[in-house]
Amino acid sequence: MSRRVLYALAGTTAVLLVGAILHPGFASWSSLRVMLVVASFTGFVAAGQMLVVLVGGIDLSIPWVLNGAAIVLTTSSLGQTSRAPLAVVLALGVGALVGLGNGFGVAWLGVPAVVMTLGMNGVMQGLTLGLSKGLTCASCGSYAPSPLRGLFSGAVPGQLFLWGGVALLMTVLLTLTTFGRRVYAVGVNPRAAFLSGVGVRGVTVALYTLSGVFAALAGIALVAYGGQPSLGLGDPYLFESIAAVVVGGVSILGGRGHYLGVIAGSVTLVAVTTFLAAQRVPEYGRLMIYGLVILAILFAYGREKAHD
Amino acid sequence: MREALRRVSLGYLVLAATAVAYLVVYSSRLGRFPTSFDYLSILNTTLPLVFVAIGQSLVVLTGGIDLSVGGIVSLCVAVTASTVSTSALWLVAVLALGAACGAVNGLIVAYGRIAPILTTLATLSVFTGLALRVLPVPGGSIPPQVRHVLTNPATPTGLIWLGLAVAGWLVLRRTRFGMRVYAIGSDEASARAVGVPAAAVKLKVYALAGLCAALAAVFYVSTTTSGDANAGAPFILTSIASVVVGGVAFTGGRGSALGAVAGAVALTLVIDILFFAGIDPLYQSLFQGLFLVVAVLLGTVAALAARRRRPA
Repeated sequence: MSRRVLYALAGTTAVLLVGAILHPGFASWSSLRVMLVVASFTGFVAAGQMLVVLVGGIDLSIPWVLNGAAIVLTTSSLGQTSRAPLAVVLALGVGALVGLGNGFGVAWLGVPAVVMTLGMNGVMQGLTLGLSKGLTCASCGSYAPSPLRGLFSGAVPGQLFLWGGVALLMTVLLTLTTFGRRVYAVGVNPRAAFLSGVGVRGVTVALYTLSGVFAALAGIALVAYGGQPSLGLGDPYLFESIAAVVVGGVSILGGRGHYLGVIAGSVTLVAVTTFLAAQRVPEYGRLMIYGLVILAILFAYGREKAHD
Repeated sequence: MREALRRVSLGYLVLAATAVAYLVVYSSRLGRFPTSFDYLSILNTTLPLVFVAIGQSLVVLTGGIDLSVGGIVSLCVAVTASTVSTSALWLVAVLALGAACGAVNGLIVAYGRIAPILTTLATLSVFTGLALRVLPVPGGSIPPQVRHVLTNPATPTGLIWLGLAVAGWLVLRRTRFGMRVYAIGSDEASARAVGVPAAAVKLKVYALAGLCAALAAVFYVSTTTSGDANAGAPFILTSIASVVVGGVAFTGGRGSALGAVAGAVALTLVIDILFFAGIDPLYQSLFQGLFLVVAVLLGTVAALAARRRRPA
């Protein structure tokens, strides 16, 4: 396990400890369970964001892929349990398709990742708003099917098991497979990776596709959690996913980082927000402290090497 | 050098194409050509984005990115709108505030060695929080005298400010500072090796970007005549889009702030074109997204074609 993952875990522990001391009951299971569920949404989008960051890319299309997938889920399932599997597949398919488009643009057409995914975010926003007529279409008022909403009940919500599954998948994929080794190789030095026979383009396309799938997964989970989709559902997750990835010790330059750290990063961010809300800090204070906490964490372990 | 020329001209080509499209759509829709009123309203609505885009292009030229422009615009909009003072000194204070915010970014990026995208992501949150503190609910106003001078709805005073901004850039680019900005963006290690004080230059670049964001905020309040603590948020992505359409390379060191100005005007025109073409506003971002990707793709294709034509 790398040092950065340990830093990220230490950061989470510190935030939870400080919270528990200043606000008794903050680290109790009932409060922790709520925080973990909220953190799982960030954890999903951050999984995708991490994959593209590992190869030095970035995915700015997450907000509207997430929102689009959420709306596809409810409009195709119409709240019926029997249509749930089909709806989930459709929603994930939309995410994969958009991710594939991103990957194709970045890897084959040579469009910078910022531009490609920013443009794609606009395309998805326009399509989502236009096709759902601003979320006023006949089926737009549908709820998420009940099996999905059941993910959030119980002593240990099914959503947390799902996150555990994602964590396992990410860890196995990145540390135990050839594909994972290739991802790190491309991230450290794409040219060297290419010369040693890694299909850099294929790897890149696969990663952007996965990022789209994870954004769609987060959309499904969010709509299952809230019952109905809303417009702008994904907007907070653009910067949140980047923050979680970096607070989790993943290098923004690529090539270094583990999903375990990203889990810690997601929990840290949610714990900070929850703590500030519990302390009744007004919104402006929450925004400022949130920014300052990210800065403090960056100063602790996110600095680049000195040039000299 | 030829490469630099080509990239800059791409921004102008895109602007020319959108301008033609605007004229065609407008005249076929309304049966007459745009009047001076139309041009003036385009000018006044574009000015804030133009200023943010100039600041953003400076940062991108050094190989960085500034997400906090959104927060600085919000903060300066909040401060400008929540005070009723006609004193020019007050506007200078707002500009100084913007420059100070930018300087904070610069200090963290240059001396704290934290990646620009992460630094400005964190400060974006801080600046937006400050803006909300200053102006919790949308509102405020701007004295008519200030509005009269900055974005007069009857006479094109905006042209003067646009001209000053362009002239400022042309001068800046030829100074030692301007050369150093390009040097750092092209190859920071080499620039350092030949004695360019990279940290000091970056600090100034981010401070200038903050100043530009503050200018944008003043013009924003002047055109909309009120303020909103979230006014800056849309500028984050549109300023990046302007820079990209304007042909400034994301790897740094290539392009020009004038290209970004052209990009900003083109992006504003696209919205007008969609409006006059009678396209459902819900689809607006779809076309903006496509416009962004296609503009960049055209640049890539042009570069490939140029490379093929040149003998190896």
